[in-house]
Amino acid sequence: MTRRILERLAASVAVVFGASTLIFLILNWLPGDTAALIAGEGATEETLVRIRAQLGLNQPLGHQYWEYMTGLLHGDLGRSYATRAPVLQELAAQFPSTASLAVAAASVAIVVGVPLGVAAAANRGRVLDHIIQVVGLALNSIPTFWLGLLAILLFSVHLRWLPILGGRGVLASVLPAGCLGLAMSIPVQRLVRSGILEALQEPYITTLRAKGLRATRIFGVHVLRNVAISTITLVGVLVGELFSGLVVVETLFARPGLGRLAVYAVGNKDIPLVQGAILVTSVTYVVVNLLVDLSYAWIDPRVRLASNGDA
Amino acid sequence: MNARRRAILSSAAVAVLACGALHCSKTDREASAASRIRTGGAPAPGGELVFGFDGAAITEFNLDPEKSAFAPHHRVMRSIVDSLVAALPGHQFGPWLAKSWEVSPDGRAYTFHLRDDVAFHDGTKFDAEAVKFNIDRVNDPKNALYALSDIGPCSGVTVVDPYTVRINFSAPYSAFLANLAKSSLGIVSPTAVRKYGDDFPHHPVGTGPFRFRSLEPAVEIALERNPDYKWPPAGATHAGAAWLERLTFKNVPEEATRVAVLLNGQANAIDLVPPQNLVQFRSSPEYALVEGELLNHNYSLYLNVKRPPWDDERVRAAFRDSLDLDAAVKTVYLGTLERAWSPLSPSIFGYDKTLEHSWHADRERAGRSLEEIGWKKGPDGIRVKDGKSLTVVFVDTQGNREKRLDLMTVLRKQLRDTGFDLKLDSQPSSAYLGKVGAGEYDLVAGRLFAPDPDVLRRIYSHKLKTAFGVSKVEDSVLEALLDAGSEESDPGTRAAIYAKVQHIVVEKVYAIPTYVLKYNVATSQSVRNVAIDVNGFPVFYDTWIAQ
Repeated sequence: MTRRILERLAASVAVVFGASTLIFLILNWLPGDTAALIAGEGATEETLVRIRAQLGLNQPLGHQYWEYMTGLLHGDLGRSYATRAPVLQELAAQFPSTASLAVAAASVAIVVGVPLGVAAAANRGRVLDHIIQVVGLALNSIPTFWLGLLAILLFSVHLRWLPILGGRGVLASVLPAGCLGLAMSIPVQRLVRSGILEALQEPYITTLRAKGLRATRIFGVHVLRNVAISTITLVGVLVGELFSGLVVVETLFARPGLGRLAVYAVGNKDIPLVQGAILVTSVTYVVVNLLVDLSYAWIDPRVRLASNGDA
Repeated sequence: MNARRRAILSSAAVAVLACGALHCSKTDREASAASRIRTGGAPAPGGELVFGFDGAAITEFNLDPEKSAFAPHHRVMRSIVDSLVAALPGHQFGPWLAKSWEVSPDGRAYTFHLRDDVAFHDGTKFDAEAVKFNIDRVNDPKNALYALSDIGPCSGVTVVDPYTVRINFSAPYSAFLANLAKSSLGIVSPTAVRKYGDDFPHHPVGTGPFRFRSLEPAVEIALERNPDYKWPPAGATHAGAAWLERLTFKNVPEEATRVAVLLNGQANAIDLVPPQNLVQFRSSPEYALVEGELLNHNYSLYLNVKRPPWDDERVRAAFRDSLDLDAAVKTVYLGTLERAWSPLSPSIFGYDKTLEHSWHADRERAGRSLEEIGWKKGPDGIRVKDGKSLTVVFVDTQGNREKRLDLMTVLRKQLRDTGFDLKLDSQPSSAYLGKVGAGEYDLVAGRLFAPDPDVLRRIYSHKLKTAFGVSKVEDSVLEALLDAGSEESDPGTRAAIYAKVQHIVVEKVYAIPTYVLKYNVATSQSVRNVAIDVNGFPVFYDTWIAQ
């Protein structure tokens, strides 16, 4: 088990390193002059030269890369070109809002998606199944932005149940997390449904039936456990995506967050800030995937036994 | 929920649902002229104003008034910093931190007599040294401050006595008082600038009616009343401290969300109400609306006169003749904004009224003229000459802010009718500046906030041109006029000079002005006396909340 974790961690470091290098190259290849953006439209050539020197932009690319990577190993993400504040501090200010929203949305997706998937599978081909599929298709086709706007009009303006503003407050997170979670619940619901239907065809189910096990036990223990693995994998991927794709919802609900930070930084070619944001995203991906991997061992005895056998 | 609110709510929903152009049957221009802000009752101190403002989807609040070029930040700063002089209607100036001032006969020295009872929020005394510190700070190109362009040919500051300061210029500079009244030359505390250094934009300290309390990046800026305040600008309706106990700016970048937070009571004021909701807020007794023209060089289309075929004035004229701005502005802004006739917005000194209704769409003339030059219509309706098609690349970075891309989309359709192919090229700001610097565009568009017609020099002067200037014009006649206008002190002569400039810009099609922006603030009816100053920025000093 420990070895498995170590292997995973080693691979993760490689992924994070690769992502950082790639993003460094892409950002430097993008057109545009950072110094010009900082100095503003009225800047003289003299000012631009001074700013470039200040930021180290006049150094060769290889040198800049070396500086960045050595800084990274010392836990120093550099300073934002635009604000001159440490990148770590800027990211830390935005991270909690994004993380709490992502976790809340994932919870909604599981709480809504799994029961609906089970219900649809249990009623396969019947009216309930059709209703769930059609509503799911509709929800899947509505952009979150639109769904959010309608939710604001209904719950915040018309009924006045929930606030819109409120940053990280629990009540203010209900609408954005609800909208994101609902959208995320559709693939979860579909996966659970098809997973169950597939598992029910497996020979071991027939065996279990033949052994005389009760249908609820077969379903609750054996089928669901099978479906859990793929579902957790999917949720892991979706949570990873959430960390990078929240900008629309953040803007709509006037929330702080990494998405807005990253988009703003890319537009302004604030390279250290973009690198920092991407680093956080890739580390999050890696951590989530690691957790997903570990959960396999917990859910699936074959994985657990195989790794024990190795040791 | 009563009928009025439901009407606004459902109209917001309809506007969202009907993504296309929504024509309102009747536009109430009279109501906009006499903004219906309530002033009845006796002002009482206390209460909080939560102001949902459009701070854009950016994450940094830069609250250094001399540094930030971003209008939303100045909407906050106006409550924190005071200026030496106050701009008054009719192009007049009144006392503020300066009790009085004299301009030397040669126009090269401005002597200000300062109030001696003013203190910054951090306790620092406001005096001639503080003013010198501020102007010197701006004037040092090493600091790369935005306000540098506001002080023109400033050559230095002399402290005459503790409360008298003289600002010197190497050439007469008639735009100075107007620029001095802007928040970008608001006076900040020298102590705080030294103490916070690079971090000063997050700890602004001025002498204003509200002092900075805290900020949360991208989300909110909290201000509180400055209890010691007793130096309001000329034109204020009361003396002493502001009425409001707290003033909180909440950044709500999405317009539909801004409307929603006012309707659900989470904010009691919002700004930049979208056109589809303006009409309802104007007529609702539960809400009040103030509107004010932003003094600026109107949002204009700049043709790249350095790049063929735009170096040919006839092609530029045909381009302009193809545009029906009356229809386009009416369609996109639902009749809430006027189309522009001059590069200058109407309330700026020197605005030339004779340009109004002097130019209109004329597609026939455009077509004829293009045929004569040799641009013939190809099979797809786009004109071609020497194997090249008449394609116009519009490079842009602002997205659909103020519905500008909607406007361009309408113009695109109009241009197609006469054989122009307008391509919209949206870029991140870094790439945009690169393209503008390299001259790789046919068309760019922009506006510049400015209280004085000298703004024309900043845009059209070839001499002052920076690498990223939007206009590539090189015109010696224009250049001489712009210099003369900047130095002329007689108002009549000066206005005549700028009338000529505006005519040249329009006639030679160096730029095509589009619409006249009005800044607006909608409040719930308990909020009284939100004002919009002469420059078009919100003022909360006289604001109070009725119980």
